[in-house]
Amino acid sequence: MKTKMTMVARILVSVLCLALLLTGCGKTVTPSASDSATPKASDSATPQESSENKPLENVKITFYCVGDSQDMTHIEEAVNEYLKDTLNITLEYECFGWGDTYTPKINPMLAAGEPIDIVFTSNWAANYRVNAVNGYFRELNDFLAKYPAIESVTGKDFLNATQINGKNYALPCNKEQAHNWGFLLKKDLVQEFGIDLKSIKSLEDLEPYFDKVLAEKPGITPLLAVQMDSPWHLLDWNTFSDDDVPGALYNDNRDTKVINQFLAPESIAQYKQMRDYFKKKYIHPDAATQDNFSAEMSTGKYFAFVAPMKPGKAVEMSAQTGIEWEEVFITPIVMSNREADGAMLAIPIGSKNPERAFQFIELLYTDAKLKNLMNYGVENRDYKFIGENRIEIIPNSGYASSGGWRFGDNFKDYLMAGEAENKAELWREYNKAGLPLINLGFVFDATNVANEVAACKDVVQTYYKQLFTGSVDPDPVVKEMEAAFKTAGADLVIAEMQKQFDEWLITNKK
Amino acid sequence: MYKKSMINQISVTSDIFLNLLYVILSAICIVPILLVLVISFTDEHEIIMNGYSFLPERFSTEAYKFVLSAGEGILNAYGVSIFTAVVGTVLSVSVITLYAYPLSRSNFKYKKLFSFLAFFTMIFGGGLVPWYMVYSQLFRIRNTIWILIFPYLMNAWFVMIMRTFIKTSVPESLIESAKIDGASEFRTFFSIVLPLLKPGIATIGLLSCLGYWNDWYLPLVFLTERKLYNIQYLMYQTLSNIQFLTSGSANFSELGMVLADLPGESARMAVAVVSIGPIIFAYGFFQKYFIKGLTIGAIKG
Repeated sequence: MKTKMTMVARILVSVLCLALLLTGCGKTVTPSASDSATPKASDSATPQESSENKPLENVKITFYCVGDSQDMTHIEEAVNEYLKDTLNITLEYECFGWGDTYTPKINPMLAAGEPIDIVFTSNWAANYRVNAVNGYFRELNDFLAKYPAIESVTGKDFLNATQINGKNYALPCNKEQAHNWGFLLKKDLVQEFGIDLKSIKSLEDLEPYFDKVLAEKPGITPLLAVQMDSPWHLLDWNTFSDDDVPGALYNDNRDTKVINQFLAPESIAQYKQMRDYFKKKYIHPDAATQDNFSAEMSTGKYFAFVAPMKPGKAVEMSAQTGIEWEEVFITPIVMSNREADGAMLAIPIGSKNPERAFQFIELLYTDAKLKNLMNYGVENRDYKFIGENRIEIIPNSGYASSGGWRFGDNFKDYLMAGEAENKAELWREYNKAGLPLINLGFVFDATNVANEVAACKDVVQTYYKQLFTGSVDPDPVVKEMEAAFKTAGADLVIAEMQKQFDEWLITNKK
Repeated sequence: MYKKSMINQISVTSDIFLNLLYVILSAICIVPILLVLVISFTDEHEIIMNGYSFLPERFSTEAYKFVLSAGEGILNAYGVSIFTAVVGTVLSVSVITLYAYPLSRSNFKYKKLFSFLAFFTMIFGGGLVPWYMVYSQLFRIRNTIWILIFPYLMNAWFVMIMRTFIKTSVPESLIESAKIDGASEFRTFFSIVLPLLKPGIATIGLLSCLGYWNDWYLPLVFLTERKLYNIQYLMYQTLSNIQFLTSGSANFSELGMVLADLPGESARMAVAVVSIGPIIFAYGFFQKYFIKGLTIGAIKG
């Protein structure tokens, strides 16, 4: 009897504890974010006024960015020296690797309201929309109005594409504002076969050359297809979420009906075409298990590769792989969220000097010297000039740039050997040619269907490699995939996307 | 005598079968490590062209030169790893043993409460952000070496193991007799109980040493100071960078420049070889106690 009573008491106590714990969690977590948000936001208004005419007192600006983790003390020192008489800051600049190591480090810091001044954010690292909606980023519209330089560099449209409910929480890097897909073809073979690059308008146009490669060049595979980096991209679905989540529009704005791109007739036709290619040995027999396109390209054993395009792509890939390439544009140039949200800087709510941080970001857009210092390092230590505005990296200097596309104005970067003199001009033209997609600025909120989205990702991960590379017979596999999508709840995901998108269309009057 | 040994004798076929089974199992464990070792000594260009091979045509020590020249960072990380593993293991074994000992004594008044406190943490956690805030804003040890040690000091699971171990290997009557002889609680613990716990301490020590050595999560979440990165985190960072940059998930301009600087396949394997180095000796050191620890609890119970 007594033991029974204690048992009951124990269970009751543990249930109570659990209940307390759960409510405790629910209550403490949410306000702590907004609590810390509101007072600090008002605190930050004070230094704003005091910094008018007097010489600025020195403040520490912490800047956390994606990029290779390496010693950047000499860059910090050079920046501090360069800005001593103007902005007068002590910069603390760190990079924490890329997506997988950057995000888990930054997100808890943001949530805890650590005093950081500038962070890199995007749709692939330290997710911009999620962190902004959670209130971890400072609203920047007042600063944008006070300091108009950034807007004049990026253009209003591009800046607006990153807004959430009409407010800016981050500043997009001024770089490519559109994307398209095309081929990289091995240069020596292009010359040998005498291919007129202008005559290539589709994958089919390459088929005769594929046959020629097979006949005349033993050891060379005509077409490289690695995971999603395969002819799949030539369909360029206008996706609503990650590439492996069903739900997309056609990329020519023909309608607003969300469909499952993996089961669309165009896709199925392509699976069949790939199967045909696979049988004809256009594609490597092990294609489904390859995972590193860069390493594969470096072997020089491939003729064609489907790649994201932009002016100067072939030059860049040639430098990277050590094999000479030619570029061919295939799909139309479009402007999507992918570019706008691709690389941005935000000011976290914990920042003690948001205005100074903003001024520093502004300089990254307007001051070429500072931008290049942050990107390439110190002159004659990390790089040297080999012409006007053209540089060469000094190898093993202890610092290697992780790319100027991460912040500020990408067009202010010095040119590297091999890059076109009019690179900036070409890029501006490319950006201008981009067709703004109908859902530019719309972001799908997956919270209601999180489980279904995860299940659909599993389905895609199970089937796409085989289908995209033609390694399996598409007919039975597509049926299997269709059934798997049904069980995973793909229909629910697409219905939810359609619902949110329709609402967005109405509020944005499109 | 003869008869007794017959009882434990197994037939020739099962003898061969069992031996073969364990040969295969060991091979499955050893061969990949061997491959890693060979790749770390293989010429980089050959890996790209021919893939991995157990018998490379050209040997090269380039990878280890890279590891040593990228030097400072890696050597420093090595020091951090060794420090946290040694200090962390000593501290954590002390905390766990000192917590488990009272719980094992039937005459400890608050046994249930303290058991519950430890057990509770096994089921419920505070979540990432509160956990982060406790260390960064309450204890303020973010970006110090202690952040790599403190969060793993107390492990409820190890406390449970240790408690059961003490219960089964230290008879209550022994403690009573020590008391009768006039030993204080501390003297009883340090002179009588502790020497009997060697196998248990070795087991917990090995597990917690491995835990500290292999950890990359604490530096990932808490450190922004590069000087404090440990070897496992450097490795994790390198591998995840390579995966990210080569998977094509990032369609950005100028990534090419970054890719060109990535360490090659053989360099990555060299770092892997270097990072498993010292911990292999820990196994040898703990092994004799470890086996004892596994068997001791089972019979005496």
